[in-house]
Order: sequence, then C-alpha cells, then structure tokens
Amino acid sequence: MHSETADRWIGKPLLRKEDARHLLGASQFVADLRLPHMQDVAFVRSASAHGRILSIDAGGAEPGTVWTLADLPTIHPLFAGPELGTFRNAVYPPLADGKVLFAGQPVAMCLGANRALAEDVASAVWVDVEELPPVIDAVNALAKGAARLHDDWPDNGFIHSVITGGDIASVADAPVRMRRRFKMNRQAANPLETRGVVAYRDHRTDELVVYTSTQGPHVMRHGLSIALGIPEHRLRVVAVDVGGGFGGKNRLMPEEIAMAALALSVDHPVRWIEDRNEHLIASVHAREHHYDLTVLAERDGTILGIEGSIHVDAGAYALWPSGPFMETSMAARNLPGSYRIQHLNIDTHTVATNKAPLGPYRGVARPGACFAIERLVDELAHELGIDPVEIRHRNLVGPTEMPYRTGGGLRLDNGDYPTALDKAVAMIDLPAVRARQAAGEPDGTRIGVGFACYTEQSGHGTVEWVKRKSRVVPGYETATIRMMPDGSAQVLVAIQSHGQGLETSLAQIAADGLGLTPAQIVVRHGDTSISPFGFGTFASRSIVFCGGAVTKAAAALAEKIRAVAAHLLQTTPDLITLRDGAAHGPQGSIPIPEIARAANIRPEALPEGMAPGLEATATYEPPESGGVFSYGVHAVVVAAHPETGVTRILDYVVVEDCGNLINPMIVDGQIIGGVAQGIGTALYEEIPYDETGQPIATTWGDYLMPCAPEIPSFRIGHMVTPATSTEHGVKGMGEGGAIAPPAAIANALTDAFRDIGAKFCETPMTPRRVSDAVALARGEE
Amino acid sequence: MIDVTLTLNGTPRTVSVEPRETLSDLVRNRCDMTGTHVGCDHGACGACTVHLDGMPVRSCIVLAATCDGREVRTIEATRKDETFGVIRRHFHEKHALQCGFCTLGMLMMAADIIARHPTPSEDQIRNALSGQVCRCTGYMGIVAAIASAAEELRGA
Repeated sequence: MHSETADRWIGKPLLRKEDARHLLGASQFVADLRLPHMQDVAFVRSASAHGRILSIDAGGAEPGTVWTLADLPTIHPLFAGPELGTFRNAVYPPLADGKVLFAGQPVAMCLGANRALAEDVASAVWVDVEELPPVIDAVNALAKGAARLHDDWPDNGFIHSVITGGDIASVADAPVRMRRRFKMNRQAANPLETRGVVAYRDHRTDELVVYTSTQGPHVMRHGLSIALGIPEHRLRVVAVDVGGGFGGKNRLMPEEIAMAALALSVDHPVRWIEDRNEHLIASVHAREHHYDLTVLAERDGTILGIEGSIHVDAGAYALWPSGPFMETSMAARNLPGSYRIQHLNIDTHTVATNKAPLGPYRGVARPGACFAIERLVDELAHELGIDPVEIRHRNLVGPTEMPYRTGGGLRLDNGDYPTALDKAVAMIDLPAVRARQAAGEPDGTRIGVGFACYTEQSGHGTVEWVKRKSRVVPGYETATIRMMPDGSAQVLVAIQSHGQGLETSLAQIAADGLGLTPAQIVVRHGDTSISPFGFGTFASRSIVFCGGAVTKAAAALAEKIRAVAAHLLQTTPDLITLRDGAAHGPQGSIPIPEIARAANIRPEALPEGMAPGLEATATYEPPESGGVFSYGVHAVVVAAHPETGVTRILDYVVVEDCGNLINPMIVDGQIIGGVAQGIGTALYEEIPYDETGQPIATTWGDYLMPCAPEIPSFRIGHMVTPATSTEHGVKGMGEGGAIAPPAAIANALTDAFRDIGAKFCETPMTPRRVSDAVALARGEE
Repeated sequence: MIDVTLTLNGTPRTVSVEPRETLSDLVRNRCDMTGTHVGCDHGACGACTVHLDGMPVRSCIVLAATCDGREVRTIEATRKDETFGVIRRHFHEKHALQCGFCTLGMLMMAADIIARHPTPSEDQIRNALSGQVCRCTGYMGIVAAIASAAEELRGA
C-alpha cells in the first residue's frame, strides 16, 4: 500500500544537497585521493595509427617500472557488443597485443613516484612498429582491397544490418524522391574531470579496490571480474565525486583493466589520471555518422518513407559491454523521429577504422538521426515550396494517434507534438524574425531561423535492451532504504550521480514516501560495497528506474512504519498516515523517530511476531518496457557572416515535455546543459584525423569547447504530459537537450542563405564550412 | 630542486620543487590542497584558477619556481571569507553547478569579475568567463549567480 501523504517535496525546485561540498572545495574526485606509497602511472601510447609491434624497448628503465601486456597477470578477453552471430568481435586488449590499431592506443604503462617521473620513464620507451596502411574513412573502409584492421575478418565491417519498417516497396512510386547526404563528425564527451583510476589491494578485506571515475560501479566490477578472473566479492569499485560523464564514463576501458591488473602485481597503490590529450585521442569517442538518404513523399509534403544507408565509423575495437552496434541501430530506428513515417529501409554499416573506439555520448545516435531527419524535412520543404513549420505540421504524430508505433518500431507513448511546435514558433516570434531578416543587417550578416523536433526514449527496460541484443540488460534498478534509530534515513542506490543532482531528487521522492523532509535523508551511491546491485546512470534512466525503486522501497518501509505506529497507537495500519515526521492515527500521533527507536533498539515495543529493524529493498522496472518518450522542439535564430562564416546565436527557445518534474530547477539545468553541448556539436567540436591516421585535435586549443560568450541564454517552455506507466509520471530527460541543436542550427543557417541555396549538411558548422558552403552556392572557387 | 618561499593562503611557506613543476603541482601535490582542480593542464579550461598577488591565474601554466616571494590564494582560503560566502550562496541558489569540477575555478574568477566590475553586464560576465570551461551547466546559472552576487555585494 502506498503512503497516503500528499506530495510535499516532489515537484519543488529544492536547492541541491550536493552543492555545499563542491562550493567549499571539499569534494573528492579520484585525483584528490591521497594514499601512502602511491605511485603514478603514465601510459606509453601508440604513435602509429596501424601497425605491427616488432619490439618494445624499455629504454634502460629500472626493473619493475615498465609494464607491457606480457608482464601483467593473465587477462581474459572481454567480449563486447551485441550477442549476434553476425557481429564480429574485436576484443580491446588493455595493453597492445601484437598490433596497434589507432594512434593513442595504450601499449605499455610506466611507474614513477609522481606523474612527471612516470612520464620520464615512458618517454624513454621505444616501440618499434612496422607501419601498415591506415583506414580512416568508414565508407572507403569497406571497399575491396582496403587494408584490414582485424586479420581474421574478411573486411572492416563489425556488422552489416538492414533496418526496416513497414514496406518500402509499397511507396516506391512516390511522386517525390529526394536524396541528400549528411555527416555528423567525431567528437568526445569531454567531461571537465578526465578519467582516472586509483587501485590497490586491501589486505584487511582481501579485496582489490578500484577507484575509478565511472557512471556505473557495479557493472564495471562485473567486467573487471571477468577480465581479471577475480570473484566479484573480492572486488570493490568506488566512484567518488565524478566530474561529469555524459556517457563517456560508461564503458570499461583498457586503462581501468590495466590499472587493476597492475595493482595486483605491485605492493603499493597505483594511480593514473588521464590528461586532456589522452582524453581527446583515447577516451570514448562518439558520433561520426555518414547518412545517404532518400526521402519518399507526396507533393503536399506528406512523407511516406525513407531509404538509404548509414555508415557509423566505430573505431578500432568494441568497448565493453555494448560495443558500437547500438549506435548504428539506434540511428536507423530513430530516423522517423516525431513523424508519421511508416516505411523505412536503411542499410547500416558499423565499420572498424584506425581511430579510437566509439561509445556513448549524450543523446547516443539521436543527435545524428535528428540532424538527418530534420535536415531532410527542411530540404523537402524547400524543394516543394512549403514552409518548414507547415511541412512539420503535416507529418507530426498527433496526440490522438498516441500511443504510436513509428516506422522504426519505437512506441511513442503520449504527448502533443503539434502544440509543442506551435509553442516554439510563438516563443521565437517568427514574424519578428522574418521582418528583421527582410530588413537586412548593416554589416552583411544573414539572419536565419531554424526548427528541429526530437523525441528522447528513456526508461526503457528489459524488452528493449534484449531487442538490442545487449549482453548486459539494464532492465531494473534497486534501492535500499535504511532507517536509523533516530529516524533519519539512508537511501542506498546503484546509480551514480555525477552532476544530475540525484542526491537531491531521490531524497525528495523518499521524503514524500516516508513523511520526512529531504534533510532527514541521505542518498549514498557510487560504491559497490554500500548499495545493492544496479546498472548506473546513463540513457536518461535514473529518475525512472532508480526513482521508481526508491518509491517502492519507501512504500515498503512506510508500510512497516505504519504497522508499528498502529500497534503503538492502538489502531490499525490502514488508518495511519505518515506526514511531517510523524505517524498520524485517528486519535493521536507518534513521531517517526519513536517508531524508529522501537524498531531498531527497543524490539520489545514491536507487535508480537514482527521482525525488528527498519530496512527495505526494492527493485523496479517500469511496466512499459519500450520506454517513455520525452519530446520537444528547438527554435533558434542565428546571424551568420557570408565571408567569415562566423555564426552567432541570437535567440534559442526550447519547448519540452518530460512528464512530471521531480525537481524543476534540476530539470531546467539538465536541459540547458544539454543544449550547450548540442551547440558544441553543431558549431565547434570535432576530432578529425589526417590521411596518416593522426588525430588533429589533441588539445583544447584545437578542440573547441563552447564557453560562456558562445552560449546564449535560453528560454524554456514546459509542457507536462505525465507518463502513464512510470512512478510519479516522470520521463527521463538528461539527453534530450543535446539531440536537436545541430539540426536546428543547420536549418537556421540554411534559412539564412536560402536565396542562394547554400547547403549545411555536416557538423560542426565551423566558420570554414559555413563560408565554403556560401562560396560553393555562389559558384565561387 | 629549488626552494620557493611564498605566502600560501596567508601562511609563509618554503617548498622544494623541481624546476618543471607548476603552481598547481605545488598546491595540489606538495601542499595537499586539492580544491584547485586540473581540467586540461594546458591553460585552456580555467578549473585551476588561483589568485597570484591578487590576480587570477591558471596555476597549471605558472611555473612554481616563479612564485618565490609571491602571495598565492587558493579556494581553501576562501571558506570563511564573507564575499566568497555571498558568491557561494548565489551559485547555490542559481543552480550554477552540476558536477562541481569547474566550480572552484569559477568562484575564483567570479570574485575577480565582481571586484573589477561592481555592476557587471551579462556581456561583461560572459566575456570575462571566456577562459573558464563548464561542461555541465551551459553557463546560464553561473552568469546569473555572478550578476546577482555582484548586486548584493554592491549594496553591502
């Protein structure tokens, strides 16, 4: 039975519990750990994109300071990627095993009393490599005669798969066929805290302790257990404060395995803190999609189907656990976006190249898919002479059609997409933008307005992950709530809050469930030794799954509290309500601390036969396993200079609906932060490789991170359509902000140069690409 | 090794450093003050901002040996400072931090912005923050917090 208390904390913009330690400089990130006798590690990384290692010369280093794969304890292969016979495996060795497949790949590790001394050792190590031809273009990589990365593969494809929906042949004679190519280039998550590991053997507990900056300690422990051959009860994985992840800290990386193996081999703690150069060349890379799509439509703009191909440049290896195929299949399945497009036929290729392996980054695949479909819709509008807003209205799934199964097989649960579009159009004040555009700018810059609709699948459970053939199926979360004798409570969870404010929002949920205040509750996470098993924070899942588990655990605990209260108040549990720190019956109240005291340390006060203690554990999976869909519309006004190609954002509007809000302040923060990252994808961030396979962006001088002058103030319009299947009607929303900006900004640039027909089909839309597009459209060289 | 005598958070100290060590190395590794975060180690993110003789600097690109005879102030010295207290409160109220990694550098820069611009415009704040990277917040809360903190401090 649920607590009958009204929501007192859910829905409130409660200020965050986690702020105090961060503001004082008293937070603790991995790099802040101080352990006696700890030594630092520097990795020797491949300077070659592709080659065979002939020899590794330790450069006269002291014995025990240079470690190659052969020097480490046996490491078992960690098969990654979907459990599909057609997926070719490419196990990522923690240190190079005979070949190097990208510049930056870890080859050896060096120990020193501090990082500088470790780097001294590393700089003397000579890796002799027989160079092989690099493979750097995902499309050409599949051509006959292309060099191959993996000797036992017939070509460079991880997997080739055709993603279909409906019957594309049934619309083959569509009156309009329009083909376009798009590309979203490669980037990295770039959390401000890089990755980092501290590992040591704890002889007292007989555990290998691995501190690592990760989004999912329990899953990483499982992977480490397989790789090292150590049982999980002898492994403890701890994520202390994590300075951002965005997906990039949700894979078990070779450095983490190598560090754990090294800690088993030496008698002191070891530490590796990734530097920014390592992050840019060897952390989880993301995006790099090539789209070649043909849209099939009626002359009135009704879109019938999409056919074509997607190549995802997946890099050299498959990252554990999911590998790169999820990226490709999600890109294809999300192509119909928010629209009534029933026929889909997409040839997908997940391709190995001599680049850092691909993994998740905020939005996973959908920024690319959204870029492709929303650019296609605008291109079609221009081709047919229809207004971009109008063509969207003709194709958007309407509220009465929900739930709606898209051509990509996704079940859009509820919402009002057309109203969201109208709201965005109204907020951006389209007539005023058109008037300014018509008037022209004195300095020759062009004004453009662009729109992009998106959906964000969240809270998807077992069925969806099984459909994706995931080898780890994050179909549930677990929460334990433990009430102490004084009536305060701990919420122990397996998600990892690394900026999302879950220490606050989960406390709000637990407070309402128990009749307490959030101040009486502490949320603990990020440590395999303190919480029950769970999967971590990614895929916009934590508020749905973990929020649901906390709700269930609080309900179970509340039931016991009511039973004790009923006994003490001489009434029945169904007449007890929990509110304001007390249990209230028909004829009196009793403070919760008294109940907690009785249950914990005065068991003689409990009803006959009741077990002592106040602790409840619950798992939760939402009943709709396909997930719930947040959605929204972005509208942006840009000013772009035709010669310099510099694009400025003049106005940015976000209309979004993520169901009910637990903490509106935190939700807005997630939206704004996501959009800022999406603007980075749209205009600034890129990791290009040259023809020899060398990464070109290796510092934040070359890789442009958006700063305060580049990012505008945003205006947000909320709509609220509560999810019907989740606890509290919530939907996940952490990624949505990052999905639509590349599409919206590209559409705005296209609008700005509509008169000359300049095309913006590749991210990031740097000054060079913008001015080149303008020059090309003008027929200039 | 070089002996560097400096005033660190009000206390005179002599620290032995290698010539190649930076001020962030000195603060974090020699003095175990970990509130100064290193985000890029090449002067591009501002997380490691400290005050050197009253001026904000990126401690990861200041050689420690050049700090002899100088005064260094890190976030640890600001915990009881009233001005910083006001700025902290506005960061808290405006949701100006998420993961918290850039926050200390932001606070050190915010104090400097407010000292230089008692009535900062949004453009002034954004431009003055151009060397500080925040990956989480999209800057809106940070800009708002600095503006409102400046307003309160102006009235003080």
